[in-house]
Amino acid sequence: MKKGLILTGLFVLVAGVVQAQQKKVQPKKEQAVKQEEVMQVLKSGLSSDPRFAWKIKQDEAQRICSQYPSREEMPASAVQKVIQLSQAEIKYPQWGIYMGDWKEGKKLVDSPRGGRYASYGFSDEPTDKGGNCYACHLIEKGQPGGTMGPNLYQYGKRWGITKENLNSPETIEKIKAVYNIVYNSWSAFPCSSMPRFGYHGVFSPEDVANIVAFLLHPDSPVNK
Amino acid sequence: MRKKVVLGVFTVGALVGGILSTKAFAQTDRELTPEEEMRLVQEFNRMLAEGVNPGEIWYEVGKAAIKKYNLDKCDLGLGPGVFKGAAAQLPRYFADAGKVMDLETRVGWCLQKYAGMTQEQVLKFVRECWGKTGNCVSEYDGIIMYLTMESNGHKINVNLKDPHVKKMFEIGKQIYYARLGPWDFNCATCHAGTKEVRIRATRLWSADRPGEAGQAVSIFPKYLVRWGLPMTMHYRYAECIRQMRWPEFIPHSDLGVALSTYLYGLANGTEIKAPGIGR
Repeated sequence: MKKGLILTGLFVLVAGVVQAQQKKVQPKKEQAVKQEEVMQVLKSGLSSDPRFAWKIKQDEAQRICSQYPSREEMPASAVQKVIQLSQAEIKYPQWGIYMGDWKEGKKLVDSPRGGRYASYGFSDEPTDKGGNCYACHLIEKGQPGGTMGPNLYQYGKRWGITKENLNSPETIEKIKAVYNIVYNSWSAFPCSSMPRFGYHGVFSPEDVANIVAFLLHPDSPVNK
Repeated sequence: MRKKVVLGVFTVGALVGGILSTKAFAQTDRELTPEEEMRLVQEFNRMLAEGVNPGEIWYEVGKAAIKKYNLDKCDLGLGPGVFKGAAAQLPRYFADAGKVMDLETRVGWCLQKYAGMTQEQVLKFVRECWGKTGNCVSEYDGIIMYLTMESNGHKINVNLKDPHVKKMFEIGKQIYYARLGPWDFNCATCHAGTKEVRIRATRLWSADRPGEAGQAVSIFPKYLVRWGLPMTMHYRYAECIRQMRWPEFIPHSDLGVALSTYLYGLANGTEIKAPGIGR
């Protein structure tokens, strides 16, 4: 059973890569302006407040993703590289994978606040922590949400998680698969629009476990 | 006739100001309750239906400010003090400054040259109403409104054949796609792609769907009902960048010029219709 799931995962991955290869899209044509010059112009227009200097250090995965307007136009090698970088960066809670507290997860999912700062106002509090998930996803029934990301209503049900199989090894594997997406979305969907919440420390591993519980737990309103 | 119109607009403005200063639209840009949102939408729809745009008040403010700050000497590319249609051909290369400038950056340059402001004073002048909701009228917003409205009816015509402008366009395009910051966003996260998507209830325009970049930029400065003031393009960039979790945007920077050159370049051929109005 466990093997089956892993095999399915592998298959999906391989299928994705093959699809990208079949498209045979050329990497972006030669650039008229140098990358360094672009970044220099970009950074010249952003505050040099030392508290936020870390925000504009572009990492390798971001650099790769910046070169392609969409995933469909990425060559297979770039897709593989981003997946490889992203998978290596995933950290798990100190207890390993477990079903978190969906009520705590709901708070993080619901909150639109966190991380936004401007000296002229409209800033979040430094302690605000939220994923603003409804901006892009439909999640709970009846709650308005965006359409940029997939509809997550009854996500746990769709993964086949019930009260009876809650503690089975298969369920743990499913929790892990969803954990990986929330922690670092690019490990499954390279260059996705979804932020790499765990990788950047927006959420701790425990926060991510709680969010995953909100999506998957049979008692969560998502699966009602 | 003109006086009557202005008076009428002012009455509406005062009315709107009154509404906006009520508790429902308090000091922060916090998320609104559904009731507040409904009221706002109704107010917005009413203004649209009646053809009222309080943003036009800023035209007169700007007209006075241009005299006050000696900006009638300012050359937007068609000659000193020639403003009819001038905004429509911006951004362009200015030999006197040795660089490509968009409307707002050029006005900042002129404020330094003809009003004796330092760069710091200009930035303060620009951001006077940033972060404010209700009853904030800044002369800078007025100047930008006046100069843009003087191009109403003119088609955006950025000269992409000029190599300086073309280079800035290319830089702007690459910035548009640069993934950066702790939330991994770029401009294209929200404003690209052929599939139509919504962020909550807001439909997003896309650079990849024909005409939409033009529709988006040709109505700036855009009067925002929830703040009771017009939002200039550089304020719009600052707000996008705040939401992208990048460090704060510096108005009149080359970053602003690069974004303007790309966006207005994409918008070539679209008629300017300022001010727009939005929630």
